[in-house]
Amino acid sequence: MRGNASLTVLRRLSVGLVVAVTLVGCAEVQQAAEGVARQVGGERMAGAVRGGATLVSGVLPIGYEEEQSIGAALALQVLARYNGVYDQPALTRYVNLVGRAVALTSDRPEIEYHFAILNHDSINAFATPAGYVFITKGLLKQIQNEAELAAVLGHEIGHISEKHILEIMQRNKQLAGVAEGGLAAVGRYPQLFKGLIDQTAKKLLDEGLDQNKELAADRLGALFAARVGYDPQAYVALLRRLRTLKGDDQAFFKTHPNFSSRIDEVQTGLRTLRQPLAGTLLAERFTQSLRGRL
Amino acid sequence: MNVRTRRLRVCLVWLACLGMLVSEAYAEKVYVQSKSAPLWAGKTSLSQTVATVQFGQELEVVRKEDPWLEVRTSDGVTGWISANRTTTTKPSGSESLFAKAGQAFRQTGAAPVTASTGARGLDKVSEMYANSSGIPKQYQDAVDRMATYRISDQEVEGFLKDGRLGEYAR
Repeated sequence: MRGNASLTVLRRLSVGLVVAVTLVGCAEVQQAAEGVARQVGGERMAGAVRGGATLVSGVLPIGYEEEQSIGAALALQVLARYNGVYDQPALTRYVNLVGRAVALTSDRPEIEYHFAILNHDSINAFATPAGYVFITKGLLKQIQNEAELAAVLGHEIGHISEKHILEIMQRNKQLAGVAEGGLAAVGRYPQLFKGLIDQTAKKLLDEGLDQNKELAADRLGALFAARVGYDPQAYVALLRRLRTLKGDDQAFFKTHPNFSSRIDEVQTGLRTLRQPLAGTLLAERFTQSLRGRL
Repeated sequence: MNVRTRRLRVCLVWLACLGMLVSEAYAEKVYVQSKSAPLWAGKTSLSQTVATVQFGQELEVVRKEDPWLEVRTSDGVTGWISANRTTTTKPSGSESLFAKAGQAFRQTGAAPVTASTGARGLDKVSEMYANSSGIPKQYQDAVDRMATYRISDQEVEGFLKDGRLGEYAR
């Protein structure tokens, strides 16, 4: 009876220690907690505390350092699949300036953003966590002014600020029954990280994100462009032009909703916008920046 | 001065003090929702910059004249900021408390593979991934170049100014 009571106390103590570690988030506290558990309950109890903490870490959101590793690994996949970077320094600088201007007043302005042009003629753009944004040469050729470019880059920044890819990564991790999927796990199980990245890359590049995530990013793209002073209606004009070019049959769209749904979503979003709609297009600056460079 | 007048004065002083305390407690606050933002001497970007405020910094609203806010920093500097660069709710930043806690746990056993962020795009973890996936060196170098490509905040402000974007439109 007395033994049971002390076991209950020890269990409560262990739970308390795990909670304390969770709240403080400190390695030293975790080690201290393991030490105390070892003294009172032996190696088994220490293991329980360590296991509890690891389990908690597996379901906690992904931190920025880990996000950077994920973002860079997925960026490698994007580059490998889309023929690498289109190496035109002046054009790259211009795309980076537009992107940085939009990111400045986005919902996540505090991280570094990196923009690159993909040497590919398809019409597409991608984002990977921690601020990596890609636009294909093919999409740049369809754009007619800086406001359209700002909204496209804003759409990708929206995926990053909403952490859409990280959400998929987290879900894959949990579906795989992985409690420990962070940097700690990579050292011990590199295949685990590779498996999760490959799975997420497939979703991003082949299957596409959830349609709701794409529509949310469309709304944010127009909003972020409007915040910095571009005309957000330019995004509607671009989507209409692409609809004319590519058609609107949902069966042909693997990675995005069809253009009509996207146009409706952007227009609904614009109706609730606080920002004035009379922004600028900056068509002249865009044309000058691209002239002879694509 | 009779007793009644003296009491009235004391009462007024107390009321004034109370009013100041209440106004301090209920002073409207906004937070910088931009990586950094200039505080202008007047409600025009043609005026002098009096300070540069940083992401998440708390500002006390002195006056509102749409689309500008006159604000005061905790250092007592007063200036005008474009309302588009502020938010009424405190930004959480790139990492919530929970994300930081998760990261702290993950790092506990991660000594051999702790990411060396900042200097390169690829840290040890993503480099290991690149090698195990057979990603050619040229793409690894491309991610490095992307991550180390720098454009200063001043250059971005200059770009906004040239395009008459943001507060430079007015």
